[in-house]
Amino acid sequence: MSNFPLAIIFVLGAMLLPLLPRQARSWAYLAVVSIAFVFLINLEAGATLSFPFLNYELVVSRVDRLSLAFGYVFVIMGFLGGVFGFHVKDTLQQVVALLYVGSSLGVVFAGDLFTLLVFWEIMAVSSVFLIWARRTPQSRRAGFRYLLVHAFGGSVLMAGVIWHMVSTGSILFNHFEGGIASYLILFSFALNAAVPPLNGWLPDAYPEGTVTGSVFLSAFTTKVAVYALARGFAGLELLMWAGAIMAVYGVVFAFLANDGRRLLAYHIISQVGYMVAGVGIGTEMGVNGATAHAFAHILYKGLLFMGMGTVLYATGRSKMTELGGLFRSMWPVLILFMVGAFSISGVPLFSGFVSKSMVIYAAELEHQGAVVLLLNLASIGTFLSIGLKLPYFTWFSTDRNLKPEPVPPGMYLGMALTSAICIAIGVYPALLYNLLPFAVHYQPYTASHVIESMQLLIFTGLAFWLVMRKLHAEATITLDTDWVYRRPSRLAYRVFSVAPASLFEAVEQLSLRLARSTVRLGANPPGYLLDTIRTIGHTFFGTKKPVPEPETFSPDRYRIPLGIMVLVVLLFLIALLAWDVIT
Amino acid sequence: MRRWIVVFISLLVISILLDLFLVVGEGHDGFPWSHIAGFFALFGFIGCLVLMGVAKLLGHYWLEREEDYYGKNDDDE
Repeated sequence: MSNFPLAIIFVLGAMLLPLLPRQARSWAYLAVVSIAFVFLINLEAGATLSFPFLNYELVVSRVDRLSLAFGYVFVIMGFLGGVFGFHVKDTLQQVVALLYVGSSLGVVFAGDLFTLLVFWEIMAVSSVFLIWARRTPQSRRAGFRYLLVHAFGGSVLMAGVIWHMVSTGSILFNHFEGGIASYLILFSFALNAAVPPLNGWLPDAYPEGTVTGSVFLSAFTTKVAVYALARGFAGLELLMWAGAIMAVYGVVFAFLANDGRRLLAYHIISQVGYMVAGVGIGTEMGVNGATAHAFAHILYKGLLFMGMGTVLYATGRSKMTELGGLFRSMWPVLILFMVGAFSISGVPLFSGFVSKSMVIYAAELEHQGAVVLLLNLASIGTFLSIGLKLPYFTWFSTDRNLKPEPVPPGMYLGMALTSAICIAIGVYPALLYNLLPFAVHYQPYTASHVIESMQLLIFTGLAFWLVMRKLHAEATITLDTDWVYRRPSRLAYRVFSVAPASLFEAVEQLSLRLARSTVRLGANPPGYLLDTIRTIGHTFFGTKKPVPEPETFSPDRYRIPLGIMVLVVLLFLIALLAWDVIT
Repeated sequence: MRRWIVVFISLLVISILLDLFLVVGEGHDGFPWSHIAGFFALFGFIGCLVLMGVAKLLGHYWLEREEDYYGKNDDDE
């Protein structure tokens, strides 16, 4: 049992779930995750399970301390998400949630690149249904964009894997040593980690997921990518800078967001920035910090998405311009949300305080002053948006007299359990530190760290409080790098679809008119010519608007009337007579 | 209003004093700001204002668009 691939439990569960009675499915979901947890605690570091495959060896299970740490938090989050979504009666969502959690675990325990690739693709395909399950036009479109981006990333990964296989003769997933193959793989990992400029898909898709779907989405894809980066690219300096910049990028864009869940999505980018920076630093402290922060982040970000999801469930709204004054009716949600907000902001005694600071400490040890300052700046922005602005505009600010629907108890229970873990880790960090890949030589609760953090947070609060009355949420959207494939798509649509269609249309009309004219010319040449002359006269000389000639030729119409002939003969006779008289 | 300002100023003074007595002497890292008492209070305050300002400027002059900028959401239903 010490090397059993956990993904199999989830895949079997996903196949079995639709066969059960509707009422039992939520319980069955939790049972599958619980069984997986039992298998997980029996996994032994160092165990592997491999099969020969063609000339290679497939390592479907590779257990070590790094994969175990991510495995634990994924299973725990899978369970908490199931508790939060206990009321969901949508089999589609339950099945794809199992597949999504299972494939994430599949990637984390994959020892070779082929297994990784297969689970990587299952992750993308299963997660998109958590967006589509909302069944709105927006979610349908956002889901398609999400799928296309990840299909592209998956193709790049496949190219990289094949190239790597050919050039090194190995498919084992270990630290990469440079070369084009590893850059292709790095690209696809960075795309899933939402490293700017490859981040556009995340804030585009996550706010469009279902209430429970987004809780799952927030936890897995990006953190699986962090794991993959830690495994394959630890110590790559590029990642350290990318992570530090990403942390600030996320908070700047989050501040502009109007949709509460989009604001949270931008903070995923920001928080993953810390992890990517930790991986880029690459020391034991850096990778420990990245892992610890991923662990803590999955839980508190899940909690925050649960909080905003509950607001969305109860009011049908998630935009700050449409929310406000929920304090009286939804104060318990505010309290649970604030546990997540304090955790992500790094308030002492909450989980972010003991995990985020490890990454910053790793940067301090390497004397990367700029990285330290950038990460601290991101902390300021995090507290500003999630600790202050979002709760202020949702629960206080303008009272919009919203009448929230009652919320199922499972949602409260899910949030309460997640809150409890966030606080437990913050109060007793050894819980988390004992799971990390390397031995931890770090003490978060020193006088200097507590004082510096409190200074940072209190004075961020002061600055917010000074401008609070002048701030107002705006009903706008923010451009991001998804512009690249969203806006020009309309141009591309015009160039490649509308323009050829109208050209063909014009040519068709022209040839039809030509044929019609030819027929008319043949059927009634004088009429046609007269028409043409009259039309030219009407157009250029302003003569009377022509009455159309009949389409078929009738000789009578063009015969000169008899009276005129008589008149001409008469005139001729008169002229002859006159001539005779004169001469 | 005034009471809150008093609270913040006393917090600032307390944190700088704590900083002076407990932290600055330690020198656990050799950064220029390690020896400035109350550096992170200042950094938090100015950093927050700068972040809000930069974000608003970026948003106002470049990034913020109408909600149907990418097209109305029901135009192909």
